[in-house]
Amino acid sequence: MDHLYSAADLPTSSRWIEALGRQATIITSIFARAGFEPIAPAVIQPADLFLDLIGEDLRARTYVFTDPDGAELCLRPDLTIPATRLYLDRFGDEGKPARLSYNGVVFRYQRAGGSLARPREFRQAGIEYFAPDAPAQAEAEILALSVESIRAAGLRACTLRIGDLGIFEALLSAIDMPERWRRQLKHHFWHPPAFRRQLQKLMKPEEFGRSLAAPLLAAMEAARREAARHGDAVAALERHIEARGISVSGTRTLEEIALQLEGLSADLRSPPLDPRSALLLDAYLKLATPARGATEAIRGLLKTTGVEIDAALDCFDERLKLTAQEGVDLSDAPFSGGFGRQFEYYTGFVFEILSPIVGEAAPLAGGGRYDRLVEEISGGKSITAVGSAIHTERLLLAVRGGRP
Amino acid sequence: MNETAAERLVLAVPSKGRLMEDTTALFAKGGLTLARTGNERGYRGEVKELPGVDVAFVSASEIADLIRKGEVHLGVTGEDLIREQIPDADNAVEFLLPLGFGHADVVIAVPDFWIDVSTMSDLEEAALLYRRMHGSRMRVATKYRTLTRMYFAGHRYGDQPRAVDAVSMYRIVESLGATEGAPAAGLAELIVDITSTGSTLRANGLRVLDDGIILRSQANLVASRRAPFGERLAALKDDILARITP
Repeated sequence: MDHLYSAADLPTSSRWIEALGRQATIITSIFARAGFEPIAPAVIQPADLFLDLIGEDLRARTYVFTDPDGAELCLRPDLTIPATRLYLDRFGDEGKPARLSYNGVVFRYQRAGGSLARPREFRQAGIEYFAPDAPAQAEAEILALSVESIRAAGLRACTLRIGDLGIFEALLSAIDMPERWRRQLKHHFWHPPAFRRQLQKLMKPEEFGRSLAAPLLAAMEAARREAARHGDAVAALERHIEARGISVSGTRTLEEIALQLEGLSADLRSPPLDPRSALLLDAYLKLATPARGATEAIRGLLKTTGVEIDAALDCFDERLKLTAQEGVDLSDAPFSGGFGRQFEYYTGFVFEILSPIVGEAAPLAGGGRYDRLVEEISGGKSITAVGSAIHTERLLLAVRGGRP
Repeated sequence: MNETAAERLVLAVPSKGRLMEDTTALFAKGGLTLARTGNERGYRGEVKELPGVDVAFVSASEIADLIRKGEVHLGVTGEDLIREQIPDADNAVEFLLPLGFGHADVVIAVPDFWIDVSTMSDLEEAALLYRRMHGSRMRVATKYRTLTRMYFAGHRYGDQPRAVDAVSMYRIVESLGATEGAPAAGLAELIVDITSTGSTLRANGLRVLDDGIILRSQANLVASRRAPFGERLAALKDDILARITP
């Protein structure tokens, strides 16, 4: 789709703007009827927070700038984080339920000013449901409202694709391995080549040692012997570093290094990851099936492995039932084990709504469950949250059959 | 660039320092005299033996930008500056010739006492733990934002394949001078900077990661792919290229 129009064709005509306005009225009234309160977070946001949550990749697709006071700021690249900040401002992290909605402009850098399906400036219409009493019901409701909005805007045919990070986390927890490995694998979920490499490594932990520098191994051994004698790996590490005439400075502490060394040392002594477990994880991430057959397919993978994740699978089936009750039939929607959208803050159900008119690479809407975001922003408690945002320009483009 | 200017070949050369001296010497060796015209301190110049060539004496850091925009045809500047300022350098710039001077490696250096970190993959692990302990990402002080971001994301320069060892759990803090002092000052946890001998890094208690050489840079003669080269200017370019032997 992108190639059909150049940036110069981006519609700025009053008719396009008016059509967007009419579409927004339809969508926001659906949100309002469902009890979502409209909010309008600031357009200019602290870059710091976004960089900490999303990382340096952000700079490649966001307008980050320094103001005359020297503060690093950005034009918001999405509204989930600003909405979460606003929720925290209002309610703290006490877990008070809140339904918030918005229809606001966001900015993302696009090469050469962008294209119709990827404008650098567009409006997101979204809903965020914090601390719902019934999370699975909230997931179904958020998805259903998104689909309802898209249909009400006039799009006849759209498709869905879904994933579930909850099942992945349940799998990791149920497979026997050190907690440290679980954290690493969870982090690598969003980087498949690194994930596969990590699996390979965990199957042969003795190979770690070969790639580690000799002084490191010696230090680890010394720290371990010392720890056995005095129970103080940090002191041992300090002596080792002093003996080599290296000074300690900066914010990273000896405790951290000792902890990391203990972890590496434990890796070397750990029984390797069972190859069957590695195969299971790999097969799960490659799994692609219509949603109605997903849990059966996963149970098939688990057979003979002794791994049990019934609670997570039941939760998935329950959600299918709830969304059907809400009027959205997910049974044909493709489910992929490796589908997690691009943000590390997603923790559970994730979905994207697609139209063949603008293509799979440009979803009309996307959302999911992100229980860790509140905690990561506030440093306080984690709070269940489910949200979704519609790319309104793309939606209008799809409604008009791909012509502005 | 308007049409009358387009009839002349514009060569951008560093306006001061070692880079200028080495460039002048290299051109002289090939029988080409770079000279300023008019005022001795002026910024316009000529190649005495090639009447069709204008020389622009500008700061090395501005040359990449002029090349990117196509405002000059040829330039002499460091590959590090080109790749930093032009993220899609391989499409925008033709690297004609490495010149054998201005050597500098762009490297990733960590405090030497991080004995648990000697590779990018160790760094990502340490950064994950750092995030859990400090609640924020590790900070990398650098003036090479683009090179850092590309390399940390797995991009490799030269003929090396893309790396699996991506590091994502970090933040860049901009540093415009004395970058090597940033970790000790508590302004960053590690740095990306240029080094020629490594002695400044060592003096500051820093060590280069085993796979931490982002780019082995040197001064290059480059051509802009955006500047208009007619037949005559292309011939002039070839003439200059033929005379220079590093």
